[in-house]
Amino acid sequence: MTMSDFNRDELRRALRDTADHRRDALGPIVEATRGLNFTRSLSRRRFFIAGGATVSFAALVAACGGSESAGIARLGDAPTPNKLVEADVTDIALLRTATSLEHNAIFVYEAVARAGVLSGDAAEIAKRFLDDHRSHAEATASLTTGLGGTAYSKPNPRLQSIYIDPALTLILGDEETGVPATDDPAADVLALAYALETIAGATYQAYVPLLDDKSLRAAAMGIGDQEARHAALLGVVLNPGRLVSSMGLPIAAEYQEDTDSPAAAYASPSAFGTQAPVPVTLGAPGETGTRTTVNLETPSLNSMIYEYLDNEG
Amino acid sequence: MPLGRLDRPVRTPGLERTLVSTSPVSSTSDKVVATPPRRPTSADIELLAFAQSAELSARDLYEQAVAAGAGGDQVASLVALGAHHDAYAQSLSALLGTDAPRERNDVLFSALTTGFGPDTESMALAAHGLENTLVVTHTDLLGLLEGTEGAALVASILIGESRHCAAMAALAGKSPVSDIDLFLKTSEVDSLAPKA
Repeated sequence: MTMSDFNRDELRRALRDTADHRRDALGPIVEATRGLNFTRSLSRRRFFIAGGATVSFAALVAACGGSESAGIARLGDAPTPNKLVEADVTDIALLRTATSLEHNAIFVYEAVARAGVLSGDAAEIAKRFLDDHRSHAEATASLTTGLGGTAYSKPNPRLQSIYIDPALTLILGDEETGVPATDDPAADVLALAYALETIAGATYQAYVPLLDDKSLRAAAMGIGDQEARHAALLGVVLNPGRLVSSMGLPIAAEYQEDTDSPAAAYASPSAFGTQAPVPVTLGAPGETGTRTTVNLETPSLNSMIYEYLDNEG
Repeated sequence: MPLGRLDRPVRTPGLERTLVSTSPVSSTSDKVVATPPRRPTSADIELLAFAQSAELSARDLYEQAVAAGAGGDQVASLVALGAHHDAYAQSLSALLGTDAPRERNDVLFSALTTGFGPDTESMALAAHGLENTLVVTHTDLLGLLEGTEGAALVASILIGESRHCAAMAALAGKSPVSDIDLFLKTSEVDSLAPKA
């Protein structure tokens, strides 16, 4: 569009109307405040005159808006916000989450036993670990009820859906979705168990500063100690040639490992118990020859088994 | 601890950071427990100082064993374990500052020194006993410590030492199947933790 497209007479009329409109609107204010010196205090009478004029102007501005709503313009209807549940990280919630993690471990060892993946020594070790996790689940459930809470008795649903189920599918395969079974199921199960036991120990460690009751800290780490030993035993089985990693330690070069990347498992991978994710590589190689890596992590706030969840479907 | 009161962040792994209230009390069901302090209390300092002395004794015992020729093809693992205990002592120093004793517990060192000789198998069994003792001791300390920073550090040390126990059982030539209790069970050892 160019200027020549405008009707010049129409444009002039529009400008004149605008000037008249502005004069009509501002006139009362100009008249009411004429002669006022705003650096001094207003007299009561002039204050009301000025105030009235200001209210009139505000009403005019509002009327010129032409909108029915005083709110910000929007398209569509905003949904009614739902009030968030107040989820407290209590000692009970921590213990229930620990119990749920024990049931994740129980689920894995039971599934592996049903599938007959392990045999010989590995099967015996897995059976012992299964028994230990059942004892741990009983212990944490007992601590929960001792605090007046309701014990949890199922696998942690979030950890199950994001770690356990995908990992078992990669190992055992799934005809329905076309996922092939891994080439060496026993090796993959041991690798998964190593990661799972490491995360279990790290979870109890992470809960120590969160538990208000110090007697519970000792009880929790009594179980965390057992989980760490499970992981260490598997580290011995998976990497008997190097029991303790030298990665990151200030020791002489002759004692350092010959590689820049750590092995997948050690009896003792680091000085301190860490809460870092534990990667585990599982499944059959894909078209490019690479295998899937799952990073297991300790339960976070969105994985905790809060008590209010018992009342939800 | 309502999550809406977010003034004390506590490190947790995963997707978010856990945020814990510093309100003076929190309720666990009908049981009301005072929210623990972060920094070590004066009683905590004594306990953590004791822990540091024990860690320095362990470091010196491993160094003695390596110097004597123990370890065989796992000598690098023994050197690493000595470095682990040194790292524990240094971390405790960082927490304790000028209150850190920075010297070993001579009673503990003297009691165990003969076990840390050149023979790898017997040395590994002595080390297994030492690590078990430290695990039991640290578990007891966790029931005594008030401050959460000290408790968190001791918990991370405890996890490391739990794994040392299994490593030393393997170095002693024990089977992870027929000797599985040596790997998994905390042996019947006395805690060194000072009584409350």
